[in-house]
Parts: sequence; C-alpha cells; structure tokens
Amino acid sequence: MSSKALTWGKAMTDAALAVTQSAVKEFTERYLESLGGTIEKKGDKWVVTVPDNEDTGLPAGQMSLLTGDDTNEEATGEPLHPESEFFQRILREASKRRPTGKLTIESDQAEVEIPQWLEGSDVEVRETQLTPYYDRAAVVVLFQVSIETVSEYQQESLRAIAIDGHSEQRLPELEETFLRITSITTDTTNTASQSAFSEADARSLLDTAQNQLMENVRTEIDEVHREASRAADTEVEEYRQLQQQRIQELEEERSKLFSKIDKLSEAINSSNQDDRVEALKQRKKLKAEYEEVDSELSDLHEQQDKGYPQKQKEIRKRHALDVRVTPLTVTRVEYERGEMDIELAEEGVIRTVTVGYGSGIGPTENVRCSLCDREFTAENPIQTIKDSLRCRRCTSSNP
Amino acid sequence: MSGYDLVDIEVTHEAADDFLDSLSEDGIDGGHLQSIQAVRLQAGQPDSELRSLKELDENSVKLLEHQVDAAYRALFEMDGKALLADEVGLGKTIEVGMILKEMHFRETDESVLILTPAQLAKQWQAELREKFGLDFICNYDDEFEDFDAHDYIIASIDTAKSERHRQTVLDRDWDVLVLDEAHYVKNEETDRYDLIDRLSYNYAFFLTATPIQNELTDLYNVVSLLRPGLFGTRDVFHQYFVNSNQETLVNRDELQDRLNKVMIRNRREDTDIDFTDRTVDTRTFDPTPKERELYQAVSDYVKGAYSQDQGQKLVLMLLQKEVVSSPVALKKTIEKRLYEQSELTHADELESILDLIEDIDTVTKQERLLDIVEEARDNVEMGRVIVFTQFRATQRQVLDRLASEGYTVHAFHGGHSSSEKEQIVENFEEQGGILVSTDAMSEGRNLQFCNLLVNMDLPWNPMRVEQRIGRVHRIGQKRDVFIFNMALKDTVEEYVLDRLYHKIDLFQQSVGELSSILSRLEESGTSFEDQIFDRLVNADSEVDLENDFDAMAVDLQEQRELADKLEEFNSGVFEGFDLGESND
Repeated sequence: MSSKALTWGKAMTDAALAVTQSAVKEFTERYLESLGGTIEKKGDKWVVTVPDNEDTGLPAGQMSLLTGDDTNEEATGEPLHPESEFFQRILREASKRRPTGKLTIESDQAEVEIPQWLEGSDVEVRETQLTPYYDRAAVVVLFQVSIETVSEYQQESLRAIAIDGHSEQRLPELEETFLRITSITTDTTNTASQSAFSEADARSLLDTAQNQLMENVRTEIDEVHREASRAADTEVEEYRQLQQQRIQELEEERSKLFSKIDKLSEAINSSNQDDRVEALKQRKKLKAEYEEVDSELSDLHEQQDKGYPQKQKEIRKRHALDVRVTPLTVTRVEYERGEMDIELAEEGVIRTVTVGYGSGIGPTENVRCSLCDREFTAENPIQTIKDSLRCRRCTSSNP
Repeated sequence: MSGYDLVDIEVTHEAADDFLDSLSEDGIDGGHLQSIQAVRLQAGQPDSELRSLKELDENSVKLLEHQVDAAYRALFEMDGKALLADEVGLGKTIEVGMILKEMHFRETDESVLILTPAQLAKQWQAELREKFGLDFICNYDDEFEDFDAHDYIIASIDTAKSERHRQTVLDRDWDVLVLDEAHYVKNEETDRYDLIDRLSYNYAFFLTATPIQNELTDLYNVVSLLRPGLFGTRDVFHQYFVNSNQETLVNRDELQDRLNKVMIRNRREDTDIDFTDRTVDTRTFDPTPKERELYQAVSDYVKGAYSQDQGQKLVLMLLQKEVVSSPVALKKTIEKRLYEQSELTHADELESILDLIEDIDTVTKQERLLDIVEEARDNVEMGRVIVFTQFRATQRQVLDRLASEGYTVHAFHGGHSSSEKEQIVENFEEQGGILVSTDAMSEGRNLQFCNLLVNMDLPWNPMRVEQRIGRVHRIGQKRDVFIFNMALKDTVEEYVLDRLYHKIDLFQQSVGELSSILSRLEESGTSFEDQIFDRLVNADSEVDLENDFDAMAVDLQEQRELADKLEEFNSGVFEGFDLGESND
C-alpha cells in the first residue's frame, strides 16, 4: 500500500481562517488597495491596477482578475479563488510583509465579558460600566506547529499564544479576542506596523510564549506519539514474523541438506571409485552449503534471542516524531485595564459589584462569597444578593 | 494502551530572527493586520467546503444532510481515507458519488478504480453517470480493454484479482480506490485481501454496512488496510479490545475513539429519512386454455433443448421469460431462431409453438392491466401509472392497447437518447397517464411524482425488481406506494413470486439489504437467475419443482436471517458510536 504524504486535509485549527471565496475577494481587495492599487469591478471581472511599489513583487500595471464561479472560456484574466496562483502569491507576499506590529484594543471594541459566576445564576445583570485606568501591553504570537511522522498524516496547525508583557502570564481570553479582531471582516485602523517592544523584550516574551505553546499542544503530540509508537510496533512485529518465517525455511533447508549429505556419506562407503569421487565432490559442495545455512541460522537465532535491537532501533527511529514550531507573527497588543461595575438586581434589591477588568481579557479578579469567603466560580455561582452576595453552596447548606 | 515502546520525539523551534529584525522598521498602517490575516488564511482550509455540490442537478440526486456530512468528513477530516459504514439504505453510494464528484472538481482524480461485487458493477456505473455525471467504464462493457487502458474504471473485484488482470491492476498508481462491500476482504488469507493490500493508491474509500462479519478481527483487517498501524499489531488489538472468551468487547470507548478517525457510520434513527409505506398486491390470473397450452409447449421445448445442449442456456432462459410476458415477445425470438439459424434441431417444435402463438386472441395479463389502470385513473393523481416489462415487444403491444382504449401513454426504453429520456419523464409528469417502460428505466432516474407501479412481468433477479420499485419508492416520495405484480397461475412467475420473493419479503427490502442477502447467496458462484432456471429445467415433476423452489426459499430465508443478525450484531457493537461529532 502506498503511504504518500497527504497535504490535502490539514485539520482546521483555532487560528486558521476559513478560505471561502468571499474571504478571498475581501482580502485581495484590501491588500491591493493597501499597496495603492485600484480596482474597478465589472461583475465577476475585476480590472486591477497595481502601482510600481517596492512593497510588492506584483507586476505593475493593469490586469484582470476573474472572481466568478463559472469559468467562462471567453473571459481572459487571472482566476481568483482559494487555490489560484494569484491569491497564493499575494498571501505569501502579505504574510512576509509586516510580521511584527502593534494592535490596540479599545474598551468599546472588545465585547464585555460578564464573569462566569453570574452566567448560571438567577441574579439579573442590569448594567455594566467600564472604567479604564491604565494601558497594558501583551504579546500575541501566531505559531505554526507541525507534527510529522511516517505513519501518520502530517498535522499542521496555527496557534495563537498571548503573554502579558508585565507578568508574563498567559492570557487565553486575549488569544480569543485577538483572533476575533483579526478575522477577515476586520479592517481596523488600530494597528500600526511599528512595535514598541525592544528586541530583547520581544525575544524573552517569545520564549515564554513558546513554552506555553508546548504545554498547550502536549495532548496532541502525545496522541500522535502513541499512534506512531503503535505503528512502529506493528512494523517490528511484522519484521519479527518475517524473520521467524525465514528461520523456519532455513531450518527446513538445513535438514534437507543434512539428509542429502547423510545419503551421500552412505554412497561414498558403498560405491566404486569413480562414483565415490563424484559423491565426495558433491558432499563437499553440500557441506559448504550446509555451513552457510547453518551460520545464517545461528545469526538469525542470535538476533532473535536479542530481540533484533538494531532493526528495532532503525524502525523506531524512522517512526520518530518531528515537531516543528515556527513563530510567524508577533503582535504587541495594547489593552486597557481598569474596573467594571456590575449592577445586579434580584426581586427589587439592587447591588453593584466592582471587579478588575481588562479589555479583551475579561474580569481579572475573583469575587468571594460574603458568608463563607469562597470564590464565586462557574461551578459555585452567586445565588442571591438579597442580604449580601452569597454563593450557591452557602444557600443550599443554610437555606 | 500498553504493549509498545514509545518512539522518540524531536522538537525544533525555528528561529524568529528574521522578523524580530523588522521590529524597528517603520511600516504602513494595516500592513501588519494583513500579515496576520495572510498567515491565518495560509493555515486555513481552502478545501473545507464541497464546492462541486452546486454543480449537481437537483433533479437527478437529492442529497441528505448525513450524506453531505459523511462526504465532507471523509475528504477533509480523514484525509481521504475512510470506511463508510452507514447502516443499509442510507445511501453510501451517494456519499461516494459526492466524494468522487468533489475530487473530480478539484482535479485530484486522474485515475479512479471502483471495485464492487460483480452484480453491482453496472448499477454503480449507472448511478454515477445519472446522478453525478461521472463517466466510468465497467469491465463488462464491450469497450473495456484492460486496467491500464482507462482512467475511470468500475470492475468486479474478482475480475481485478484474476490471473489475467491482477498484475496490470497492481502495476498502476491509482489516485482513488473505492471498495464496495468491503467486508468481503475481511479475511487476510484471501486473494482479495492480498490484492487490496498490494494496491497502490492515494485516497481510498471503503464501503460496508457490516464491518464486522464474524468477529472483531474482521474490523481489524479492514481498518488496517486503510490505515495500517491504527490498531497496532493484531495480537495487541486482540488482547486489548476482545475479552478472552471472544464474546465481548472491552475498552469500547477507546475502540470508538480510534475508529472515529477512519470510520463514518450513520444510523437510520439518526437521519431524518422518512419512508412512506409500500403496499404490494400480487395478482395471479388463470391463463386461457390457449395460453396454458402455449406455456406448456414452450416449457417442454426449453427443457428438452437444454438437456441436449446446455450451451443455449441464455436463449432458452429468454424463451421461458418471454412466454409469461406476452406471446408477441416470444414470437420474435422464435422467428429469429427459426429463420436465422440454419442447423436448428427441433425446428418443427418451434413451428408448432408459432402456430400456438398465432392462435391466441386474448392476452390475459393485458386485459387485467386495464382493470388496474382504470382504477388508477379514478384514484391516483393524474392517473399516473408506471408499467414495467422486460421486453420491447410486450411494451409496444401494451402501449397500442392502452392508447386504443383512450389512455395517454408514454414509452421509455433504452433506445432513447439521454435528452429524449428526460423529455419523456417530463411529459409523463406533466400530462399524467401511463408510462410503459423497459428496465432501461431502472438506471438512476427518479419518478417520485408517481406512486403506482405495475410489474407486467417479473425479472428473476430480485435486484432488478427492487431497482424498479426504487424509481418511485425513494427519498422524496411523499405518498404511500402501490405495487401490482401480475402473474399467470402455475407458471415460473408464480413460483418465483410466491415461493421466493414473498418468502423473503422481497418487496419490503431495500437495495442495500437485498444486495447483502444476494451477495451471500451468490458467494457460491451461481447467479440467482441461473439457480431459478436450473431448478425449472431439471425438475422431474411438478412436486419436484415445488420442493426445489421451497428449498431455494429456505436458503434465501437463511441468508436473510444471517444478514439481519449481522446487522443487529454490528449495531450492537457500534451502539452509541458518536459519529456526528468531530474532534475539533
């Protein structure tokens, strides 16, 4: 059976974007415009003018792009679709153009995240109010992770890792916000290609991000690892069986040779001179063959007893996992930290809770039950605010 | 799972120097966002939609959600190597059709080999052509040369593994391999298994409703062909998943997790298919004395001629089928035999049969057909009835008769071009009346707008019967379906209908179920039709004949029960198999 590597079915991952035709068109349009080009749309045909620009290797001048689904044979121009040469080319170019840069998340741009301990509760959230106090910076790195082994399909994925610039803690919520605001529909002006990180800072944050990433993909690697090990094991087993078969064949051959030699020995004792000479010759030849088979057999037996260490090593080496991690973009993300006032209501009682909050990060502080001092969590949400803020555990044990 | 040594992991962190250097560079606004988007698009899945779907003709094929999902998962989540194991009747062929269509659209299908059991090859060819516009050559076509002469081939697996073709099949690197009824390669010691094991291909889709035939090892074998190593070694697989007494499954969750990577199994209860009821009304009529005399004469002739020269089997079988269809159908064949073959024995017998045909003035079946269409005219929407016959001569006569009675009639047979056929179906839908069709209709055309079908004569091959019914009783049929079978008393048709078809509840089986019953039966090598014919000509007496057909019915019944049991067993093993979810 063939085991050609397949490149067709890369698994979709968190950070990857679906390459739909509309995404292709949107991205192309914006990219060409950012180069200073112009686009004149005539139905499915775009007449594009690319300026003479050092930012691009695209040929300057006018060209036609065909964006339609129907391949009209009369229309002339470059096709534009997910796999078209032109689109792949601008993707390559754009990805290399500004891999580092800056992005700012304003409070009004990020979705307001209500703490989880309020989500499953009967207490009503009437209003939220954000008060930003200061700016913070984090770094978000897009990593390409590739896991490869001979027996499994190559798995490639793109992962976003966000690390706080100050605490060097991972900020999973910021990763999600980052992916949301850099999706294809975004045409934000809050990015700048200039990053305010020093190279040393960036390097250190990148290292931290890399470590976090490895933690993050551990399960996937483990899984492929198990599969590859299993496949290697199958191969070792097959080899073992093959050798066993060979041993049996050789043993049969040896015993055949042995009886032939035996017969010849009898002939030597009982025949006339001429025949004897012939038989002796024959016996010598057979004995040599016998020796050869016997020596191969004892080699094989020896290998078998040892468990074919060399072959095993060879097979397991071939099945070894090659994990490759490549940072592709580094973004300094500036976001606001401050407080969020949450106005809660329950049967006419209204209370306001204030929690630490970061735009794009969500709540940064925990709130505790005023009775038992346990933290509110998704599992132990707020139950009532009537007398004070109380958790579910308290109210269920002290009705 | 234990029992193996772990292989090494080598991790390489690529340096970021290149772009860290660019940290201090000035740039244009938006440039960085575009880099991020470009990187994300590059990592994205340009293929994650079935782009050929919109090219399909909705009139030719109605896709169901579970089928689209299966095609999608097989292509994009399983990297083009999948075991499609839906329960019977859910349209695995459609799933493969979509997959092949999509691959064709993406031009990743330079060479495709579809291996099926012999009796399904032509059906595959017709379905792929009619429903998906995909042209395959079949090894039974006259134009078929060899496995290296065509790029899109449907072949019986046994032809492919035969001495004559095997090496040619193996010498080629196939882009796509489709293996229907994959459970027939379960045994690793067979030539079939060996063939698939040695075949070279990039993408493979295996189909079966019953991945497990006898024991869990079957599953191991089939899956290991697709994804070697997924289950580790045979021994480890056994120790880990099968309880030592061989009866029960252990570590089922792990098994399902693993299977999920390669197998798709939809269950009927999970789909929204809602089949309407079908009612079968078999009407047997007393033939006129003249018809009876003719039947007897032909049967005697066939029996006598066969005992002398078995080489004429096909034509004798034809005579035996024609005599119950209509005298005109018979007449043509006999005349041809008389006038075109010079050294014919029994010529006198044939002459006297011709005389008997000439004598017949009333054709019972045709008279009785009028009752049915009359009933339909009053009770069925636009009086639409489809009448099937195997023979053109019968078709012509029925058409004339109906037309003379003032019915709107439409003729459909294999002689029409593809666009003519479409026009005929369209006219039938618009104008109503009666469509008289040969079995050329059985290939891929959908007539859900009609719900009354008459079998003027019955094919001896049950698959054929089901294909006829399948034209109207299919997904999309909103009304109950009525099927009328017409047979003359004490004829082969009555035997086949009564003793065979009804005993196995043929008219309630789906094509999938039937094919699994028949494939089992035909494993022995003789076709169903041959078995019927042999019994017919070899019986010494009426009683013998009845006993013979009863014995055949018992066989069928057994196969059916086995097939049912197998289904049950498989659904037990895969119960709760969560296949709708993917891991992402």
